[in-house]
Amino acid sequence: MKLPILTIIMTTIFTGTMLTMISSHWLLIWIGLEINMLSIIPILTKNQKPRSTEAATKYFLTQATASMLLMFTIVFNAMHSGQWTTTNIDPNNMIVSLTMIIALTMKLGMTPFHFWVPEVTQGVSLMTGMLLLTWQKLAPISIMMQMFTSINPIILLLIALMSVLVGGWGGLNQTQLRKILAYSSIAHMGWMMAILTFCPSLTMLNLLIYLMLTIIMFTMLNMNTNMTTLTLSNLWNKSPTITMMILISLLSLGGLPPLTGFLPKWIIIQELTKNNNIAMATVMAIMALLNLYFYMRLIYSTSLTLFPTPNNIKMKWQFQPKKRSLFLSPLIILSTLTLPLSPVLSTLN
Amino acid sequence: MVYAIFLLSIILVLSFMSFSSKPSPIYGGVGLIISGAVGCSIIMGFGVSFMGLMVFLIYLGGMLVVFGYTTAMATEEYPETWGSSIVIWGALLSGILMELLLMVWLLEHDGMEVAVGFNKLESWIMFMDKGFSIIREDSLGVSALYNYVNWFMVAAGWALFVSVLIVIEVIRGK
Repeated sequence: MKLPILTIIMTTIFTGTMLTMISSHWLLIWIGLEINMLSIIPILTKNQKPRSTEAATKYFLTQATASMLLMFTIVFNAMHSGQWTTTNIDPNNMIVSLTMIIALTMKLGMTPFHFWVPEVTQGVSLMTGMLLLTWQKLAPISIMMQMFTSINPIILLLIALMSVLVGGWGGLNQTQLRKILAYSSIAHMGWMMAILTFCPSLTMLNLLIYLMLTIIMFTMLNMNTNMTTLTLSNLWNKSPTITMMILISLLSLGGLPPLTGFLPKWIIIQELTKNNNIAMATVMAIMALLNLYFYMRLIYSTSLTLFPTPNNIKMKWQFQPKKRSLFLSPLIILSTLTLPLSPVLSTLN
Repeated sequence: MVYAIFLLSIILVLSFMSFSSKPSPIYGGVGLIISGAVGCSIIMGFGVSFMGLMVFLIYLGGMLVVFGYTTAMATEEYPETWGSSIVIWGALLSGILMELLLMVWLLEHDGMEVAVGFNKLESWIMFMDKGFSIIREDSLGVSALYNYVNWFMVAAGWALFVSVLIVIEVIRGK
């Protein structure tokens, strides 16, 4: 794509999300979401294959349906309450709270509207998939954090629980790395939304740590263009440092202490038990093991064992790396080693 | 003519159904014309004449004309009509059946409260009012776009420009 057009489209993607995040009037929020959705379509079709076109079509249809539902809810809310602010939705109005949740979870890719996430992520390139799974989550989550007092908690907890289940079980049969990261995104969205009605700061914490981990995973996979588990198993020869970093990043994504990924799961379970929600916390913690299982399978084939390869020599002619990897070292350190900083959370509001 | 808006709403729903059942685009264009015109009439019945004029001029007279010409250039030999799909017939029959059930329910009971109250037709009846209103909300809204929220006009213009750019970029190909 030509550079001026790419610049305009990237600026518009940024503008759309920013417009949604700074608005308090429902119409502007919807406009920001629409601008964002429309300008990411050419990014999805950038590499001109039929699969990318199919992925862009699926993405567009799902997100357009969600925007339409959101517009319906906005107009219904304006008709019944007479005002357009985000924070004053009446929680007793069942239609508004239900369809709002449906529209926003459809935008995020949570169960039962998760079917587009693996297929769209698989149909586009690695960096575009990263943009899809990280930047596109910011706008709907910012809306949900503004209106969290009017959400029906039962429905949101049900959706979050189903997302964790589907994210765990769906990723078990995958060898394509983009689909594995898509199912991990579904499960993490479930964890984030489970705690929204109790303590939205933890949603923000989980989102930040999930963003760092996803960005670092996609960047490391992009350095050698690893799309499948099989190509990952040849990585020990090419760049052993990336092999190690993939190990600790995947363990952090799975939520193992003493890595950073354990922090949001720990505090979310603590907040759920403080609100007498022990069964939910138990089931979510058990289902996170499924996530950990397929990350462990990736680590098994990458770092812990040597698969039979045509090349068993440890020496390899190393070339200059051609792909830029911005912020690789700081992001790895931030996403794996900051668990000892957890007492700083008590100073936050 | 008291039930004007009620009747126009029925025609609106039918014409929406006629193009969302995905016949060939020529027939869908007919449905769009009818639904656009009827929608304009409904909102003009409520007094919003400027919006109706805008939809007639720009939507029907600009965009739909261009759509009609491009569809006439790109049409196929045996287009899919309304009667050729079982979906239309099934939707028509089930719609008629549900309408009959609704009328039977309304005759038996006092009203219906599913999501919105449907007791009487009072919000669909147009009473002829003899006065005139000085404050025209629709045209005042457009002028407020230039006056109070002129940065929003910039954002709207940018969105229109970017949407054309995106359409051209997507259909560019190799």
